[in-house]
Amino acid sequence: MLPLTLLRTAQNHPMLVELKNGETYNGHLVSCDNWMNINLREVICTSRDGDKFWKMPECYIRGSTIKYLRIPDEVIDMVKEETVVKARSRTDMKGRGGGQRNRGGGQSKTLDSDGDCLTVG
Amino acid sequence: MATGLESYVNHTVSIVTSDGRNFVGTLKGFDQTINLILDDSHERVYSATQGVEQVVLGLHIIRGDNVAVVGEMDEALDSRLDLSSLRAEPIGQVIF
Repeated sequence: MLPLTLLRTAQNHPMLVELKNGETYNGHLVSCDNWMNINLREVICTSRDGDKFWKMPECYIRGSTIKYLRIPDEVIDMVKEETVVKARSRTDMKGRGGGQRNRGGGQSKTLDSDGDCLTVG
Repeated sequence: MATGLESYVNHTVSIVTSDGRNFVGTLKGFDQTINLILDDSHERVYSATQGVEQVVLGLHIIRGDNVAVVGEMDEALDSRLDLSSLRAEPIGQVIF
């Protein structure tokens, strides 16, 4: 399992983010991207020493400043469900869009090894 | 031991981060930048004056930038340790 897959699954869940400078951000994950940049809602920021607090409705954190993220235990089980659902929908799709290759009823050509056209139609 | 961290997945590992902290947990996944998924994790806080304190943390994603060491734990050996009687100076942070 990839860390960023787990993070994507944790969207809409509460989490704690500690930055490299020691500040922590508690909030609900709104969105994240492939660089671990994240959007949080209903955030409480705590200073490095834990003596100052700031409340803010939302914030955006650059991924490269993050030390670690603490996420609810149950999220890891939801990743498994999601991959199962995805795998199932892939097999469901099989055959549906198939057989449509060479649409348009156009000519088909036969080429020899040099790419010269041998037959048309 | 073929491909680095792959052989540690679903094993108990000990992580030393560049701020000098020590996390222990089950490695559930990693990526090319050494971001790690650590499940059922706890932090071990070392002190020269009292026993090792274990802080329960749960599920973690540790960003690869901060990872200094990943080591597989010998669970049998670890369970024989009496952490409450262990005294150790905490390790310092990596200075960039």
